[in-house]
Amino acid sequence: MKCRSLIAFLLVLCAFTLTGAQEGIGPPDSISADSTRGDSILPPAPVGNLKAWDTDDDHGHSVTLEWEISSDDGAGQNSVLSYEIFRWTPFFMDTLKGIRNSLAQTEAYIAELQAFLPRAKKRLKVHRKGEPGVGFADSVAFYVDTIAASERWLPLHKDRLGQLRRERAQAIDMIPQAHKSYPEQGEWRKVGTALSGQTSYVDAGVKEKVSGDYLADHADYYYRVDAVTADSTIRTSSEIAGPVQSYGQFFNTGRIPVFVAVIVFTFLTVFFVTKARRGADLYVRPLAGIEAVDDAIGRATEMGKPILYVLGLGTAADIGTIASFTILGRVAKRVAEYQTKLIVPCYDPIVMTVAQEIVKSAYLDAGRPDDYYEDIVYFVTQSQFAYVAAVNGTMLRELPATNMYMGVFFAESLILAETGALAGSIQIAGTDQVAQLPFFIVACDYTLIGEELYAASAYLGREPILLGSLKAQDYAKAAVMVLALLGLIAVNLDWTAFTDLFVVAK
Amino acid sequence: MSDVAFRIPLVVLSDIGRVISLMFIGAGLLWILVRSLRAKEVDRRIVFLFIFIAVAAPILFPITFQERATLIVRRLFDKVESLPAGSRVLLAFDFDPAMAPEVQPMADAISRHCLTKGHKVVFMTLWATGQALLTQSLERVVKGEFPEKLDGVDYINLGFKAGNENVLNIIVTDFRMMFPTDVNGVPLDSTSIFDDIRSCKDLDLIISMGGGKPGIKEWVLYVGDRVNVPLGAGVAAVVAPQLYPYYPKQLLGLLGGVKGAAEYESELVRQYPHLEERGTPGLRMMGPQTLAHMVIMAFIVIGNISYFISRRRERKR
Amino acid sequence: MRRSTIIVMAAIFGLFILTWILRSTSLASVQEHYLIGGFKVTFSAFLTLAILSFLYKDNPFYKFAEHLFVGISAAFWMSMGFWTTIVGNLIPRLSRSLSEFFQVPYQPGSYNFVYFIPVILGIMLLMRLSSKYGWFARWPLAFIVGTFAGLNFVRYLRSDFIEQVSATFVPLLVNWQGVEHFFSNFSLSASGQFVAIVGNWVIFLGVICGIIYFFFSKEHKGAFGTASRVGIWILMITFGASFGYTVMGRISLLVGRITFLFRDWLGLIS
Repeated sequence: MKCRSLIAFLLVLCAFTLTGAQEGIGPPDSISADSTRGDSILPPAPVGNLKAWDTDDDHGHSVTLEWEISSDDGAGQNSVLSYEIFRWTPFFMDTLKGIRNSLAQTEAYIAELQAFLPRAKKRLKVHRKGEPGVGFADSVAFYVDTIAASERWLPLHKDRLGQLRRERAQAIDMIPQAHKSYPEQGEWRKVGTALSGQTSYVDAGVKEKVSGDYLADHADYYYRVDAVTADSTIRTSSEIAGPVQSYGQFFNTGRIPVFVAVIVFTFLTVFFVTKARRGADLYVRPLAGIEAVDDAIGRATEMGKPILYVLGLGTAADIGTIASFTILGRVAKRVAEYQTKLIVPCYDPIVMTVAQEIVKSAYLDAGRPDDYYEDIVYFVTQSQFAYVAAVNGTMLRELPATNMYMGVFFAESLILAETGALAGSIQIAGTDQVAQLPFFIVACDYTLIGEELYAASAYLGREPILLGSLKAQDYAKAAVMVLALLGLIAVNLDWTAFTDLFVVAK
Repeated sequence: MSDVAFRIPLVVLSDIGRVISLMFIGAGLLWILVRSLRAKEVDRRIVFLFIFIAVAAPILFPITFQERATLIVRRLFDKVESLPAGSRVLLAFDFDPAMAPEVQPMADAISRHCLTKGHKVVFMTLWATGQALLTQSLERVVKGEFPEKLDGVDYINLGFKAGNENVLNIIVTDFRMMFPTDVNGVPLDSTSIFDDIRSCKDLDLIISMGGGKPGIKEWVLYVGDRVNVPLGAGVAAVVAPQLYPYYPKQLLGLLGGVKGAAEYESELVRQYPHLEERGTPGLRMMGPQTLAHMVIMAFIVIGNISYFISRRRERKR
Repeated sequence: MRRSTIIVMAAIFGLFILTWILRSTSLASVQEHYLIGGFKVTFSAFLTLAILSFLYKDNPFYKFAEHLFVGISAAFWMSMGFWTTIVGNLIPRLSRSLSEFFQVPYQPGSYNFVYFIPVILGIMLLMRLSSKYGWFARWPLAFIVGTFAGLNFVRYLRSDFIEQVSATFVPLLVNWQGVEHFFSNFSLSASGQFVAIVGNWVIFLGVICGIIYFFFSKEHKGAFGTASRVGIWILMITFGASFGYTVMGRISLLVGRITFLFRDWLGLIS
């Protein structure tokens, strides 16, 4: 009795071992309900409704899969641990892989030879200069032979490289054709894994043809999803989905909101700039800081003290500096009319050149070209704190009645404004650097906050492009306010159709 | 017994030092208030001296406070904590030595957290001066505290690449085009950590630490809003207010200045008490920080009192 | 220079040399090159104190430290620009022999004549230094401005416009389950319903009023003017918070420096 039980047990054990040994390259399509082990994990239910399609809104080389989870995933037997995604792959792809490997090896060998040759030639030179001794002739001969062999092999390998590259290119072109051999000349290979509970997977390859992860477009792909248990041999395959071809889309529909915003904003800008160019009077509200400029200039004239104008630390390409140029022109014209002294220390040489031209033409417009001299606008240094130290020195020596800081400023803003306050000057500042605004607001009498600097430039200069852009921005702001209000109503009344319009796909 | 007997005087000295310095600061503030009320000027160098004492005293005689992470810090901490071991995290050290006192503590804390959780960490920087700080952090935190972690397997240092935001523009689709090798010249293809990483899309979390340009804003514009990968940030205090509009939609969490660093460290130590012995510089800095802030607030109040009183006097005249 | 100044300067130098010797002595058991290690720490401390001495008044030590910093940073960035951009990014893509010369890994297969275009544009940009041919620099400048404008136009519209607009779509009544539930569960905690509701109202009204403040096409009168004033209040509160954050940042840097002085230089703390 005991002997028979032992033999039966051994037979079962052998049967199990043989079953395991018979597994090939890929897992079996499914395990039948009969081949269970002692602790009986039954094969799980397969995933349902497997669909595959080309991934939307991309440049191609990607297929999206979706399925309904197995009924044994989180329910039923609760045995599903993961899902494995298989793609049918023609054996031809192994040939391509072989070509790629040979190519990589040849490239590496050529790189080695190319790195070796100059070193070897150097060593040969050294050896030839050295003292003849034991083994001297052998070393020289060794290097001579090796160099000669390398120089013989190198062109051969380069030819081989060229040939392999041609073969690779041809093989890549044959990929779609190779996939048409389904289901004969190929096998199922795993391409990815998804955890239990997941219902989708994106099989994404790269677009570089030379890469091993290249997923060709316009090839017929077939997919299968296996529901896998803790014992990876116990699994159930789904039905096959395919053929599906990947291809790139010309337009990413997920970014339509951005497209609409670009169109609307561009239209508004072009419309208002054109309107301004035609001579339309575009209203810009008066700004407190700019209205104070005239008073400040008048104050300086009465006190007989100069006006200090600082253009900031930006370059001539910065918008803040460009806006400051316009304001400088206006200030310079008034200063010329009132015959007050103007001091403009500059940080950037290009900015200095532009500022000189502006001040010179402002004096000309005011009818006082003789009052202009080169030293009104001068270069100090391109070192941040050295520049600040120099300007502080000017403030404490010249004691200007008015200080104007218009442009791009950084950490030196508070140092400038504080010293100006110490000197007793009235201070008007304007910058688009948000981090520096608090310092100017605290230490200056008037501050143009952010966009007010650009508005001031448009207000004073009345240039069509500046005015038109400002108007376009204002209309865009109005649109934002309306959209914000509508969006608020939509969220509170649960109108997802409206809020979804602002979702931009990643 | 002798050890305890030796330690007691040090502890007592520290307490005495704390008390004396606080009394000195309190008395000094009172003196300034009286002078201000009498409309006498207070030399600004006195103010500088008070700030120095307010900062120096808690460094010499440590004062520490309990910290509790706010939601904005907690979200980032929870994300790092909830990711399964083996997740791919990118840490960008986008700061220079000028920001290091604030940002380095949070960078070290986050690195420590990621490595404790067993994440695969990719280190990089967009700042030339950040490379040295990154190397120091690797020596101190990664190699010093986690010697079992392997370069190329558990973490990798890509180093610095010039190009500012253009680097981000490229790595969002292809890492290898911008970083063909790591900082030691090892090709990325021969590292196991980059087996599954082709671009930023293949990462599980990105955390950028810095405060200038290129910085968090560039990461949001060029990477965060383009890929479906959560983005967190740790910044110098100066820049933090400008980044709040990005939270919580575009930024998962934000550590602002040394306070953010202290909050993160406190959560880390609460979750992993054994990490406390490795140092909590952020928490240590909060003592002098808090005292300095209180002194500044006192000066603001005194200044305003003095201002209103002098204005009333002028009106009476 | 006056004699007293010379004596003071000599005394200061003497003190620093003394601290160098003391620091080197303490590092002798820990570091191999302890003299250099001690010098590094002492010189760093000297430069720190030299810069901080400006708070008292301008002096030769501050001037020396400032000029040293300016000179070294200029040289550092020039050399960085060459080694990271030209040698780091360009040469490995173009030339194997140059890559070997500069000891950087060559990137095989990445050669493309397109990389010569930024080289040419870069040379044109450098011509700004010439008064006769400086106009060449306008072309690469135009390329830079145009490229960045194009790259950033869409990105800023997306991240700073559309995403921000949709972020203002906030529920005004958060987790609303009736007035009774609101008052019975009332709390001022940061994660509570009341704070969430107030926060959302502030976000929405703050955005609208802030935008109204920056609206330049209409004069700020009446209700519009009131909303604009609310907007400027919101802005000022923001700037105050920003100022506070900046103060915190600056104090942190001071804490870092003083910690260095006390720990690494003077050894007063561990």
